[in-house]
Amino acid sequence: MIEFKNLVKRFGTHTVLNGLNLSIQEGEIVFILGTSGTGKSVLLKNIVGLMTPDEGEIWIDGQEVARLSEEDYFLVRKKCGMVFQHPALFDSLNVFENVAFGLRRHFNLSEAEIIERVDKALKVVHLSGISQKMPAEISYGMQKRVSLARTVALEPKILLFDEPTTGLDPVTTTAVNNLILELSRQLRTTSLVVSHDMKCALEIADQIILLDKGKIIAQGTPDQIKLSKVPLAQEFLQEVMSL
Amino acid sequence: MTYVIGILDEVGGMLLFFRRILRGIFYKELKIHEVFVQIWKITSESLLTTALAGFFVGAIMAVQFGLQMAEFGALGYLGGLATSGTIREVGPLLIAFMLSGKIGAYTSAELGIMRVTEQIDAVRCLGADPIQELIVPRFLGIIISSFFLLAGGLLMSILGGMFMGQAFAGVNPQEYIRHVPTIVTPFSILSGLVKCGAFALVLATVCTYKGYTTSGGAKGVGRAVVATAVITMVGIVVTDWFTSFLGDIIIQAVQGYRQ
Repeated sequence: MIEFKNLVKRFGTHTVLNGLNLSIQEGEIVFILGTSGTGKSVLLKNIVGLMTPDEGEIWIDGQEVARLSEEDYFLVRKKCGMVFQHPALFDSLNVFENVAFGLRRHFNLSEAEIIERVDKALKVVHLSGISQKMPAEISYGMQKRVSLARTVALEPKILLFDEPTTGLDPVTTTAVNNLILELSRQLRTTSLVVSHDMKCALEIADQIILLDKGKIIAQGTPDQIKLSKVPLAQEFLQEVMSL
Repeated sequence: MTYVIGILDEVGGMLLFFRRILRGIFYKELKIHEVFVQIWKITSESLLTTALAGFFVGAIMAVQFGLQMAEFGALGYLGGLATSGTIREVGPLLIAFMLSGKIGAYTSAELGIMRVTEQIDAVRCLGADPIQELIVPRFLGIIISSFFLLAGGLLMSILGGMFMGQAFAGVNPQEYIRHVPTIVTPFSILSGLVKCGAFALVLATVCTYKGYTTSGGAKGVGRAVVATAVITMVGIVVTDWFTSFLGDIIIQAVQGYRQ
């Protein structure tokens, strides 16, 4: 479903992704872990065309997308919903308009249909009844969930999460992680989650990938990762053990 | 050498960005409602300060001209000359500087924060074009409102000039405006409008570009705002020189043609 072939991304002389090869099957929950600056977020941004790779190919549903024009990316972005590290809500729009933003642009829906889809998306993230509030009037955790609702409302086939639990308290972190699992299973979406949270990855991922210096250094199911001898995997696992 | 390349790179980036804005205005569907929202916002937020500044600029012009003209016994021309000077040069320059400090910095910071908090990326991911959604309405808003602000500022400067003409030089209001139609020619008005438009174009391009291309978190936003202030100030002064120079060539060409 998603395939990266020899993907290279450089920023000046610094190579962030260094010939990355990866294949993700439909309906999988894949966690990408690694230390900061190893190219995890860059990988996601390359999928949705926010960045263009210097070399290599990205295949989504049998289509090579790495070098599509901005106009042609419209359909790819309809398929791939991205939840950003920041809530990235539009300050001047209320929660309803934030969630409806993508619906108004991607689909030709009536106002009644938009209201229905927004309500449904807010219900999925357990935030019914706040649609008229402005982003500044709700907590950071709620903003993150509204951001999730905005992406879910589009009913994408692929969900990309860029550190969805960074900056959240443990309770909200668990809630968001459960939501990822719920969404992936209920909506049968393929989920790619960039995270530092090995504990959560071990609990809900179908596949875990460890990135270091732009390359995959370990890959496998949670059980396989638990047995990995790769030092970075050991470090992440030790952190989970210490909790 | 690196410094020169950096400047050329920046200018090139701005020109390419300007081209994208023009394509957005002429080849894509305009967000008319958003343009009006921006015009209203910019005009209503800046009218009071512009009017106040306009009033005092008119007053200063009247005092300065009055001092010189009293020596020649030509105070009857005070209103005409002060108004002409304000319309042709000082008014547009004043509006541009006011807008640069207020709207330029605001727009650059607003877009910069949207960039570093990934709101601009979110716009793209949600199927919209950020140039069309965010940049074009702000760009047109700044340019169109600068003309409204110019009109308001100039009216207030005439009032300020009249007030100070009466108080400082004893020229009554009727006398003050008597020679305005004689000295303020259609070319003066055209010159003021062209300058106002050119300054607003520089300001709108620079502040939207610097905001849109911000990187590096809060520090990056700070840098973008400072760069906007510096580049627009220099850009406005250079544009002033250029439009004056061009205007002079046009006047000479027209006069030569008439003779």
